[in-house]
Amino acid sequence: MKPKVIMGVIFIAGFTSLLFYNFGNSISTYTNFNQAAKSSSSVHVVGSWDQSKPSGFSYSTKTFSFYMKDNKGVERKVLYPKPEPNNFEQAKKIVVVGQLKDNVFYADQILMKCPSKYNANGSNLKSRAPKKNQ
Amino acid sequence: MIGEIGKILIVSAFVIALTSLFLYYKASRNDLKPKLEKTAHRLFALMGLLAVISSGLLIYLIFTHQFQYYYVYDHTSLNLQTRYLIAAFYSGQTGSFLLWIMWTALVGWGLIKWTEDEFRAPVMVFVTLIEVFLFSMLLGVNIGSIHIGASPFRTISEAMPNAPYLRAHPNFIPADGNGLNDLLKSPWILIHPPILFLGFSLMTVPFAYAMAGLWKRKYHEWIKPALPWTLGANLCLITAIFLGGYWAYVTLSFGGFWAWDPVENASFVPWLIGVAGLHAMVVQKKKDKPKTTSILFAILAYVAIAYESFLTRSGVLGNSSVHSFVDLGLYDQLVFFLGAVIVVSFGLFIYRWKDLPKSDASSSMLNRDFILFSGAMLLFLTGLVIIIGTSSPIIGRFFVNNPTPPPKSFYNNWTMPLAIALAIFTVIGQYVWWKNYDAESLSEALLGPLVIASIASIATIILGNVHNIEYMIYLFAAYFGVVGNGFVVARLYKKKPKLAGGATTHIGFAIMLIGILASTAYQTDFLDAQTRNYNHAVKAGKVMNKDGTKVSKTVNFFQLNKGEPTVIDKNLTATFVNMKMDNQARPGQQLYTIKFHYKNGKTYYMHPVIYPMLTTSTKNKINWAVSPQVKAGWFHDIYLYVGGSSYVQNINNELKSGNQVESVAERVKNAGSAPVSQDNSGKSNSDLVTFRFKRGQSKTVDGYTFTFKNFKKASDSELPDSAIIAVHAMINIKQDSTGAQKSISPMFSIVKNNGKKMSYAPPVTIDDWKFAVQFSNVKPMSDNIQLTVSGLKNAAQNDQNAWVVVVADRKPFISLVWAGIFIIMIGFSISILRRWAEDKRRTERMKAARSGAT
Repeated sequence: MKPKVIMGVIFIAGFTSLLFYNFGNSISTYTNFNQAAKSSSSVHVVGSWDQSKPSGFSYSTKTFSFYMKDNKGVERKVLYPKPEPNNFEQAKKIVVVGQLKDNVFYADQILMKCPSKYNANGSNLKSRAPKKNQ
Repeated sequence: MIGEIGKILIVSAFVIALTSLFLYYKASRNDLKPKLEKTAHRLFALMGLLAVISSGLLIYLIFTHQFQYYYVYDHTSLNLQTRYLIAAFYSGQTGSFLLWIMWTALVGWGLIKWTEDEFRAPVMVFVTLIEVFLFSMLLGVNIGSIHIGASPFRTISEAMPNAPYLRAHPNFIPADGNGLNDLLKSPWILIHPPILFLGFSLMTVPFAYAMAGLWKRKYHEWIKPALPWTLGANLCLITAIFLGGYWAYVTLSFGGFWAWDPVENASFVPWLIGVAGLHAMVVQKKKDKPKTTSILFAILAYVAIAYESFLTRSGVLGNSSVHSFVDLGLYDQLVFFLGAVIVVSFGLFIYRWKDLPKSDASSSMLNRDFILFSGAMLLFLTGLVIIIGTSSPIIGRFFVNNPTPPPKSFYNNWTMPLAIALAIFTVIGQYVWWKNYDAESLSEALLGPLVIASIASIATIILGNVHNIEYMIYLFAAYFGVVGNGFVVARLYKKKPKLAGGATTHIGFAIMLIGILASTAYQTDFLDAQTRNYNHAVKAGKVMNKDGTKVSKTVNFFQLNKGEPTVIDKNLTATFVNMKMDNQARPGQQLYTIKFHYKNGKTYYMHPVIYPMLTTSTKNKINWAVSPQVKAGWFHDIYLYVGGSSYVQNINNELKSGNQVESVAERVKNAGSAPVSQDNSGKSNSDLVTFRFKRGQSKTVDGYTFTFKNFKKASDSELPDSAIIAVHAMINIKQDSTGAQKSISPMFSIVKNNGKKMSYAPPVTIDDWKFAVQFSNVKPMSDNIQLTVSGLKNAAQNDQNAWVVVVADRKPFISLVWAGIFIIMIGFSISILRRWAEDKRRTERMKAARSGAT
């Protein structure tokens, strides 16, 4: 019995520590543009879409571009190599995942944080909107 | 009124469940008190009945559109089709609890009927305990300052006590509800959630049995009767997972069947742990074996359900899931539920630890118990990986502040080696299960499967151009799984096909693995020559952004101009044929037709869809949703969606210009909610656009810009005698896509007819563009005029300069994913039949023995 149990314990302990180690490295933290400028790896920046600046998809440059203001109020142009994402115009908060180079943010991914995607919205009735899930 | 009844019913059901729980507890303490137990059964049945009646009431409220109730207001609307009104019953948080409660009551009823005497009361203690917890989520009562539960029968003013408008008007009834989210409007919603919740309810059974076993120190006897239920729970969960994945694949545009979204994971983890538990159970159902692993997995599977319910329903995932979840005020209660399940189950487990029969585990490594146990551990570890990833908002805080979810690669990198190991273990497990081997005889027996799997892998590697070494190993393991288990099935089929459930399931699993790799890693994008060149240039580092930096991302979309055949693959040409409005399906929905034409003459049409998400669109912004079209085939699927079009762009531009009187969102909405009346020409009346503007202003509507230049006095000669006033408006119209311009001057006049004043304004038809403009009103004393344009949508449909941006790809052998899952389902079903029959024989034998003894 002993060697099998010891092997099992070692395997699971090793597996779990490796898993947590890798997990800790895989996740990053939500950040802002100033910090993103210092980072050479892919980062998550939270912010909101500046609707007063031009935005849109251009087929000739094959990018969707817009201006985003981060939580500190810093504004940067964001380029995204896909057609305008669904839900974009409606999102209250946007998370862009990618890299900042020379004051332009190259997004690999745009995540929308809508008031509630799986929920009806658009009513003025809600001041404190308790929402549902699926 | 009905709401009050509903609330009372739920509170009564909660109290009845508590009473029933107490009686079951009493009955279990004093072994076999049949009278007490009978009363408890009656109360349990009454509780179930009340749950059914409450659900009936809620459905009644939904069908009669009583929007003063928050649930009805928040999840339905007047124009919702009947089937979605039914689905709305469980599409919200509180309604889904009701569904869960009803299924659990049904499962409980089955347990009352089929469980043997000495287990019945203790098992029902735990089932009823779960029902008590679930009902508590729906109570909606306040004790002091503590809110318990959120009632599905709350009124909107109860649900939103702080809304200023509702404070002033507590009896306000909204004219219409928010409606069901458009993404959920799919027939799949009728079947996916009910099966998922049935799975959750069935998973209560092994949990309750294991707990009852621990409590009554019958560590052994619970496993056999719990086995068919556990199989049923896992069959339901895998079916629900498949339906969810297929739903996402065919109706959402994220391009696949699995995205490691926390909500998907929430149903996957209980399945993985449940299946791990099954493996432990089949080993440990024999009398002389230890039971700890079976008990532990039965507990863990339910803890996983409670934990995932907490994750998805409490709002903690709000930041990391594409499905957003907002707290319903149940956070504390869900934590309490989870905590109670953990404390009660692990508490009892630890309390009985010393008493539990332990393993002697002296046998060799190829002992079948050890192999199956290892397989179960692999399944459990896979579940652990997913739980840790999904829990990033919570446990990520130990590593960083404000943690983001891990990328998909985290899940893929960890589950892939586990899947490889699992595939290999399925074969070894099956071999040693049916026969005793030592290392030498096992290698000999496995020679056949090894050779065949190697040949198949090498053939695939060459034909499929596989370069990645990890994929090669994965492929080999999957083929080995198919062939090895195939050998076992073939052998069993000759003797006893009933026994082939396990091996069949394993074949399905291995086939699914092949499908997953082929359809995701070897997916190829269709692209036109221009985009291909662009991507080559990007890879060569030759494409620059405006600011001089290199473009690093290739793209996967291309443009099709109307009527222009475009080569998008070696032998394949695509043509954008036309766009039609499909208001019947959804107001404002556009149905695109794209023709695929192969060199060998084969032709077919794809019909992707774009529609405005009305529940989330506002007056000034339309939130577009795209729905892909999948052309399924044996060897590959063609997956295609329209990511943008000239029509959508025109409407967006129109909205951005922001000065129209009536917004498009409103117009689209009206087109949908107004009864679709047809006039004689067969054209829908909804194709009318009315807008106002002042002299000198411009409006853009559906790709045409209207400019109001000036008024012009009407000459007497063109007027009837009865005219009181008459004026022309000089309008310039520009077709935005071509820049072509036309000037018209429609007339507005007021005439006297039989003593009554009437307006007379003949529409001016523009033949080239196939629409008509009517000067339908004028505001006296201002420059403000109103135009009504009819046939514009037809004009948009007939626009010869229309284009679409298309994303299309080929997913090879995705059929194997579905085939694999179907085989898994068949395998599970065979096992259920076998274990069910086995258990029936066992209880009959016991009964016979008992009656023989007396």
